[in-house]
Amino acid sequence: MADGPYWNPAHETMPRDELEALQARKLRDLVQWADAQVPWQSKRLRDAGVTADQITTVDDLRRIPLMTREEWMQGQLEHPPFGPILAADQALAIRYHMTSGTTGKMPIRVLDSMKDWEWISEMWCYGLWGFGVRPQDVLFVAFGYATFIGFWGLHYAGEKMGCLVLPGGAMTTEQRVRTLVEMGATAVASTPTYALRMAQEAKALGIDLAASAVERVILSGEPAGSIPATKALIEEQWGAKAGDTAGMTELGTIMVFECAEQPGGTHIIEDHYIEEVLDPISGVPVGYGQMGERVVTSFGRGFIPVLRYRTRDLVVRIPGSTCPCGRTFDIYEGGIRGRVDDMKLVRGTNVYPRAVEAIVREHAEIDEFQIHLYTEEGIRDEIEVLVEIPDPAVDASALLAAIGKELAGAHEGLRFGVRQAEDGTLPRFELKAKRLLDERIVIGSEGELRGR
Amino acid sequence: MSEMRNIAGVELNEAEGRLVECYRSLAHVLMGHRDDLAPFEERNALKALAALWQVMNGLDMDPGQIYDLGA
Repeated sequence: MADGPYWNPAHETMPRDELEALQARKLRDLVQWADAQVPWQSKRLRDAGVTADQITTVDDLRRIPLMTREEWMQGQLEHPPFGPILAADQALAIRYHMTSGTTGKMPIRVLDSMKDWEWISEMWCYGLWGFGVRPQDVLFVAFGYATFIGFWGLHYAGEKMGCLVLPGGAMTTEQRVRTLVEMGATAVASTPTYALRMAQEAKALGIDLAASAVERVILSGEPAGSIPATKALIEEQWGAKAGDTAGMTELGTIMVFECAEQPGGTHIIEDHYIEEVLDPISGVPVGYGQMGERVVTSFGRGFIPVLRYRTRDLVVRIPGSTCPCGRTFDIYEGGIRGRVDDMKLVRGTNVYPRAVEAIVREHAEIDEFQIHLYTEEGIRDEIEVLVEIPDPAVDASALLAAIGKELAGAHEGLRFGVRQAEDGTLPRFELKAKRLLDERIVIGSEGELRGR
Repeated sequence: MSEMRNIAGVELNEAEGRLVECYRSLAHVLMGHRDDLAPFEERNALKALAALWQVMNGLDMDPGQIYDLGA
């Protein structure tokens, strides 16, 4: 039993009706806790006429008002540094973390207690165990270990499971590659972008990663972990299975993970979260197979109760039964598809960075790329993709033309410029990649001036 | 050990039941006998409680929150 495919067998294979009953009980407890401990939450609940004793089914969740990042940040401004969201005395916290700040917005700051940190690592255990990591594994964590929460929870999950954990903080990429190979790492955790970066570095060092002991690459931090072409490239370059996960600082940990069956998506950890998928405009729930915005309620982190938080993540939910692993936890097909605000309107056509990456990564000759939006002649939106093609033997002209054609074909004929950039000139990323550079002065066809 | 069931009425096996007893014992000591503990006893007991809380939660034993105990 201790070596089966599930971290919590009873919950991960629980019939859906029992799972929903479990969620309803936990929801009632969470509402009661938030109402009693957080005056700000209590006011929101009471303004909506919600009390814990009214929660009897999961559907009662919809009576609770949605919470936005903007509200959270406004709360931090008015009640610095954490906002009016803490449910316990700050003196009981053992850790402080914050969001990565890659969006340029004010970071969200969070605190957690000893019990919360055990829970944070517990969620990562679902993911690591579910993807096949076991106590005998040697787990290298390619991560900077600072205030961004990132892979901290994975590190402790590895320790909890009994793995030999190799912390890869404060190292150059070369040092990381050499260390993980020399120490016989069997599993590596990194962002998808950085997994590719390490593979490039290994190639430059003459190290064959595919011949190393690495069997699994655990991905997180970017939607690319579930883009088939990106994932295939990582698997090919590492000679290992790549498994996606996704989490948020607002939750402290991951909420989805890919199981060892690699069903083309990520299971939702539904005994610890309720995940809704709503139309981002109307707020109406969408059904299985429809794209919508993730809204999360978390039962685990008592220090900061999270009730119906709008994540801005775009997902497509499908039944867990579509995966042969036996879990009843539903799946986000294709993982996190992008962000509601990722979408760019270019001459009337919607462009999602993820869709561009999915095409570019089909071409293994490309090392790095960047999407560049700019204004031509003061009025016209233009989009170009810059690519690095390090191998001089590649017919670059033919490759650029082919990519341009594929991009146009996937975007209603929209014309993309595709240009070759000099090797090593495009930015490299260790954490969340920002490959979209929007330098437009005017956005769209309405002549709306861009705020600068 | 007497039969033990979780909040959904599912019977726990003996090993699970013993873990629940451990948790309750730890919580009892930390709640009522804290002043009798040296720092190394108190802080390690808290860490164990925080870990066993995950077992209680995973077994649907409705462990509630334990911030009042310092975890």
